[in-house]
Amino acid sequence: MKALMSLGALIGVAGLVLLGGMIFDVIPSTTVRLVEGYMPMQMLFEFACFVAGFAGLSYMMSAVGMPFPRFWQGIGFWAFVLLYLKYRVYPPIPFSVRAMYGTVTLVAVFMWISANEEDWKKFKQPIMNVLDAQTGMNKLLRYAYLVLLPILIGGFSYNAMKPKSEEPIELRTVHPAPPASTKVHGKTYTLQTSQNPYRVNPEGKYDQEFSNANIVEQGMGRLMKPNANPWDDKNTGYLKYVREGGEIFFQNCHFCHGDNLNGRGLHAFAFNPIPANFTDPGTIAQLQETFIFWRVSKGGIGLPNEGFPWASVMPPWEQHLTVDEIWKVILFEYWHTGYYPRTWD
Amino acid sequence: MGLLTGKRVFSIMALCMMVGLLLLPIVVALPSPAIGEEAPAGDAVKKDGDKVEKGRDVYYKTEGIVVGAPAPKTTDGPKDYPRYNFESRVLLWFANQQHLYYGSFVLAVPIFCMIIEFMGVVTKDKALAKRYDQLAYDFIKISLTAYSLTAILGGILIFTFLTLYPAFFGYLSSIFRPVMHIYALMFVAESGTLYIYYYGWDKMKEGFLKWIHLSMSVILNIIGTLLMFLANSWIGFMMSPAGVDEQGRYLGNIWHVIHTALWNPLNLHRILGNMAFGGGVVAAYAAYKFLAAKTDEDRAHYDWMGYIAMALGVSFLIPLPFAGYWLMREVYAYRQQMGITLMGGLLAWLFIIQATMIGILFLSTNYYLWQAMGRMRGAEKYQRYIKYLVFLLVCGFLVFITPHTMVMSPAELKAMGGQQHPVLGNFGVMSAKNGGINVIITTTVLSFVWYMRGNKVSTVSWAKFGNIFMGVFFACAYVNIIWLAIYGYYIPANVRVGLSVPQVATTLSCLFFMFALNSVMMRGAKQMGPIEWGKISVRSQYALIMLATAFTWMMALMGYIRSSVRLFWHVNEIMRDNSPWAYTHTVGFAANMISFNVLFFWISILFVFWMGSLAAKKVPVEAKAGIPGNVPQPAASH
Repeated sequence: MKALMSLGALIGVAGLVLLGGMIFDVIPSTTVRLVEGYMPMQMLFEFACFVAGFAGLSYMMSAVGMPFPRFWQGIGFWAFVLLYLKYRVYPPIPFSVRAMYGTVTLVAVFMWISANEEDWKKFKQPIMNVLDAQTGMNKLLRYAYLVLLPILIGGFSYNAMKPKSEEPIELRTVHPAPPASTKVHGKTYTLQTSQNPYRVNPEGKYDQEFSNANIVEQGMGRLMKPNANPWDDKNTGYLKYVREGGEIFFQNCHFCHGDNLNGRGLHAFAFNPIPANFTDPGTIAQLQETFIFWRVSKGGIGLPNEGFPWASVMPPWEQHLTVDEIWKVILFEYWHTGYYPRTWD
Repeated sequence: MGLLTGKRVFSIMALCMMVGLLLLPIVVALPSPAIGEEAPAGDAVKKDGDKVEKGRDVYYKTEGIVVGAPAPKTTDGPKDYPRYNFESRVLLWFANQQHLYYGSFVLAVPIFCMIIEFMGVVTKDKALAKRYDQLAYDFIKISLTAYSLTAILGGILIFTFLTLYPAFFGYLSSIFRPVMHIYALMFVAESGTLYIYYYGWDKMKEGFLKWIHLSMSVILNIIGTLLMFLANSWIGFMMSPAGVDEQGRYLGNIWHVIHTALWNPLNLHRILGNMAFGGGVVAAYAAYKFLAAKTDEDRAHYDWMGYIAMALGVSFLIPLPFAGYWLMREVYAYRQQMGITLMGGLLAWLFIIQATMIGILFLSTNYYLWQAMGRMRGAEKYQRYIKYLVFLLVCGFLVFITPHTMVMSPAELKAMGGQQHPVLGNFGVMSAKNGGINVIITTTVLSFVWYMRGNKVSTVSWAKFGNIFMGVFFACAYVNIIWLAIYGYYIPANVRVGLSVPQVATTLSCLFFMFALNSVMMRGAKQMGPIEWGKISVRSQYALIMLATAFTWMMALMGYIRSSVRLFWHVNEIMRDNSPWAYTHTVGFAANMISFNVLFFWISILFVFWMGSLAAKKVPVEAKAGIPGNVPQPAASH
């Protein structure tokens, strides 16, 4: 147990040194990289290591007769989380999310330090000491708080009331609800039931399982089946349609959506927000093919009221592509990202 | 003996009367479908000579004879939308929400009474049995005052509908005509049974008569549940209409109208929700009484009452997310756009708020349990591990509340380099959220297990093996839940939706197997000390109040979400809302309105509690002191 705690303490110290370095820009925040594809779990894992590290550190300090006061443990841990979210995770997390995380962590710290009466007393003690002001130092602190707290609150109020020139916050609906049906090139498509006519098996029948088995492995960039290469001219059927979709994509879409389909094309950074990142699990992986068909056909201009503030410059592609071309390009997008279109069966 | 026989006869008669009341609406209603079919059919004959017009059911796709008028095409004006100088929709929202709060409360409390009375009947410890009985009686007493308020609020709701939305209410009434009177008669039956049940309490407190009394509570709850199912059929019809054709004309099959796509998921969700809400309100009542108590005896009693109410409420809270998941699945299956509007579109931010409220519920529950361990000698051994439970809960919570679309300024959006954050964006989708909530629930189960064994040491010969097995079981459960959450990113969406089944199964396995195993292990366990009822920290009572407030807030929020998902339809795709208020409120306005409803409910329920305490003051002192033991003993209370 002691060895385990010592290891934990070591991790805790190392972690704190690294984070301190990142805060003061001595160590670049990319020193320990967040590896693409594993980032969400890596963050939680790092967080777990820190918790274990701090537990070990606290244990070791108690063992050597220098226990770290519970009050400062609580405050310190909360400060650590705020700094971790601000300086460790990149790209920067928007303030609204950091505020949510910070509040939840504050609640968690409170739950921890007040989980039993003994700990709660230990935590409260320094506060009570200052309020009671039995010593000269505490008296001084009490007067200092008396002056500082109103100034601090006044400062916050002033900042909150001060007119700002920043652009206002947007609560944008990225995936507005689609209509029940959409009319493209004179034909009406019911979004709930329509299917991609090119997602077919060798017999020419709609077959999602067949197409799912012939895509690029998600996040790996390699083919699920080595011989299922759409760029091979000999391949027909589904793979041929993927190839044709790819050609359309690279002629029309990749300037914005990027050759990796990650929304970072040549022109992408002229827009804010940048175009949709199809490799993100929150975009096409969440949607039915017919949803994509509707969005591609109607473009940013065809977004419903719900899609306010309509921050999309995508052209209505029905004015430039045929229905078949739109279906094929969608087929390619799913093939390339390794995602499967959403179905409801 | 003669008296006893007389009482028996009386009680059996009362029970028969209740059954009669239960059956009355059905008997009275028997001819109504026939009338419902024939009368308008006559009109059709008058209009079209001998021709019978047929229509196609919008949901069931069956053919039926048109027997109703089409849904009215309303226009903005005093005829269809008469109004005061105020937004009619907001008035209706208020009336509806308050009625729902009280309706839920008076439906949930009798179910608690039934459970607690049953516990009292089967408990061998006579002192404890008496306390259970007294507790059930206290509950029903509170419910009785609330019942009158429910009826008053129901009346206000109907008047609001009739005054402000006459065309819409007229249409719904014409559709539900065959069951409107059944609904009214159900109220009569509910009131009758409730009064017999309440006033017969003292007369039927022992032996055979007690069982008859208990049976009455079963009938009372059957009536209450049927009543709720009927009320649910209205909202089910408004969201996912069936039994009518495209013009909204009734096709003569009332079962189709009631049994819509969302009716059953709504029924289940509301039963569980009502129970959790009822438990929360009673727990808050107990917490309030605990904080105001002046004697140790009172503190002990209300501490115990709060614990029982919380445990009952939470036992229904645990399956609630799964029932909600089923409801959402059915919503998606019914209309994809409706699902997207809810979970990914216009109302998605409200779901983030809902996730936050769910998290608060579970966090409050866990916190209460940890505080409750403070009144047990021997539970100290678990205290040092609580920080790890906090860690698990918070990780689950943070994942659960991470929005897919973040609120940010354009400058932040640019700095982030895209609409989705590459790290946190992954927490914003369903796969991660399923993992998050299951981790939270499993941790809550673990807290419960620790609480249940807090002051005990197992004496079974295989105790060591049992403890190791439990530890490994929980560890495997966490690994399985988290692994499935990650795996969900690599498979098709329809398979991913199915992954929730093994995740839920894992959580429920922990709940049932671990509770069962723990109970077996703790049979005849060595007690380290009694549970010192009343010695719990005041913080725990604030946690109970927080639990109840979060329930109330969340209930109002979800009601608003469910209702506003119809967007500009009174009846989805059948009857359009042409009033000036056919738009969706802003998130801020909705949150303020919800808070106002919550505040109003709590002020009014405090009034109900105060009324209850007035009645309690009349109870002679001896009757209260007559409860043996004064400070309740732990025995089989958990």
